[in-house]
Amino acid sequence: MIELKNVSKVYPNGTVALDKVNLRIQDGEFVFVVGASGAGKSTLMKLLLREETPTEGDIFVDEYDLGKMTDKKIPFYRRQLGMVFQDFRLFPNKTVFENVAFAMRVVGEPTKNIRRRVPTILNTVNLQEKVKSYPRELSGGEQQRVALARALVNNPRIIIADEPTGNIDPKMSLEIMNLLVKIHNFGKTVIVVTHEKGLVDYFKQRVVTIQDGHLVDDKIGGMFNNAQI
Amino acid sequence: MRRYSATYFIGQSLKGLWKNGVMSFASVLVLLSSLIVMGSFSCLVINIDKNMEELGVLNEIVVFIHEERTEDEITTMYQTVVNFDGVSKVEYISKAQALEEEKVKLEAAGYPYISESINEENNPYRASFIISYASDASIEDLQYKISNVEGIEKVICRSDIAQTLTSVRNGISFVLVWFMIILFVISMFVIVNTIKLAVYARRHEIEVMRYVGATKSFITIPFIIEGMVIGAAASVIAYFVQKAMYLYIYNMIGTDYSMITVIPFKSISVFLLLGFVGIGIITGVVGSSISLRKYLKA
Repeated sequence: MIELKNVSKVYPNGTVALDKVNLRIQDGEFVFVVGASGAGKSTLMKLLLREETPTEGDIFVDEYDLGKMTDKKIPFYRRQLGMVFQDFRLFPNKTVFENVAFAMRVVGEPTKNIRRRVPTILNTVNLQEKVKSYPRELSGGEQQRVALARALVNNPRIIIADEPTGNIDPKMSLEIMNLLVKIHNFGKTVIVVTHEKGLVDYFKQRVVTIQDGHLVDDKIGGMFNNAQI
Repeated sequence: MRRYSATYFIGQSLKGLWKNGVMSFASVLVLLSSLIVMGSFSCLVINIDKNMEELGVLNEIVVFIHEERTEDEITTMYQTVVNFDGVSKVEYISKAQALEEEKVKLEAAGYPYISESINEENNPYRASFIISYASDASIEDLQYKISNVEGIEKVICRSDIAQTLTSVRNGISFVLVWFMIILFVISMFVIVNTIKLAVYARRHEIEVMRYVGATKSFITIPFIIEGMVIGAAASVIAYFVQKAMYLYIYNMIGTDYSMITVIPFKSISVFLLLGFVGIGIITGVVGSSISLRKYLKA
């Protein structure tokens, strides 16, 4: 479970990015986080990734208290999360297999496990045919699927996708969202930060709206509320 | 705890060094130059010490004993001298001992025919005391008292030479220390920048590593190894350059200025190699650590 209690974040230059935000996300939920640019979505992601610490309030993710977590524990905490970025962040000089295997290698997984696990995950994201391809040989949607596979390969409990469809066409966007729903159906908690009204309205999941650092709306089966953004 | 592969770390380090070839080369070059300067100064100081020792001017007074003195008289003289204020040690060298020592030196210097021509019967050397004293302050007083002891033929005290050589040696040591500090800082600066560039070149990779939960040590070890490799490469090259330089000077002085003693290279080779490797690796590791502490967060 993810829980934010009265969380505020004020940057050293005085910008109030989040102001007394309270939010609880149960295990296995699918949540869209929406809001205009500068609303505080990125800060929320950074806090969940433990890139930043809250100025006030507490953040709990499962057994971890992020505000009190020591630097040494951060990598082990992050292994519970799978991150997907708008710009994919794949290594151009590594094949699809190597890009996904990299996530396992850096956490010290033995080669035997890597060889077994990576093809399974690539199968889940329908990229079994592209194992030896390089990112430049793939479409945007396929690259994002590789990024999803990399996020999933260490079997995290939570998937955080930051504008996952921002760099791909609408058809591919739908495909990526369907994949995220599929992953959610495996029992993962999925948090998607997005601007895409059509997708939010289509999937009818829980929608958390942030505006000027405040959590202004939180509805299950909600819609993208233009008036509030 | 899972074990990471050493080959992975070494592979990443070598890749990093290759990618930043120019900066890696510059780092090796700067560190190499620093080590050679440090090494040259150190060799100079060691050799000055050796020459001072050879000349017997390291807080020593050499006293020659009159030929006709008996063993008992010499023992009495010894007791008198050893009890003077300021005397820390007195070593007695008999005529026979003096002869033996000189014969060994002559043979080593390549004059066996002179060595063979002198023996117990025509021994030209005198028995002597080598007196070590604690401080230069009372040297004149001590010299006076020794020269008045009955049976002393000659007192040789080269405290003025000792003082000159000591001040030269101290001057070189002072310059050496400052050179070492300055060169160490310059080397460190170049290595810090090299590793900083390596970190920058791999920033996207590092970012992904952090997000997927790589530990800080996993991320930093390849960069530390890079620093170590730079340090080790510079120190090994510096050792061979220093060796060539030293042997060149050794051969030159050995033939043209044989009055100066130069320590054979093999006597200082281990000291130099260990010193170079130690300083090189420490500089590399500390340089890497500084740049990583500045540019890598949790």
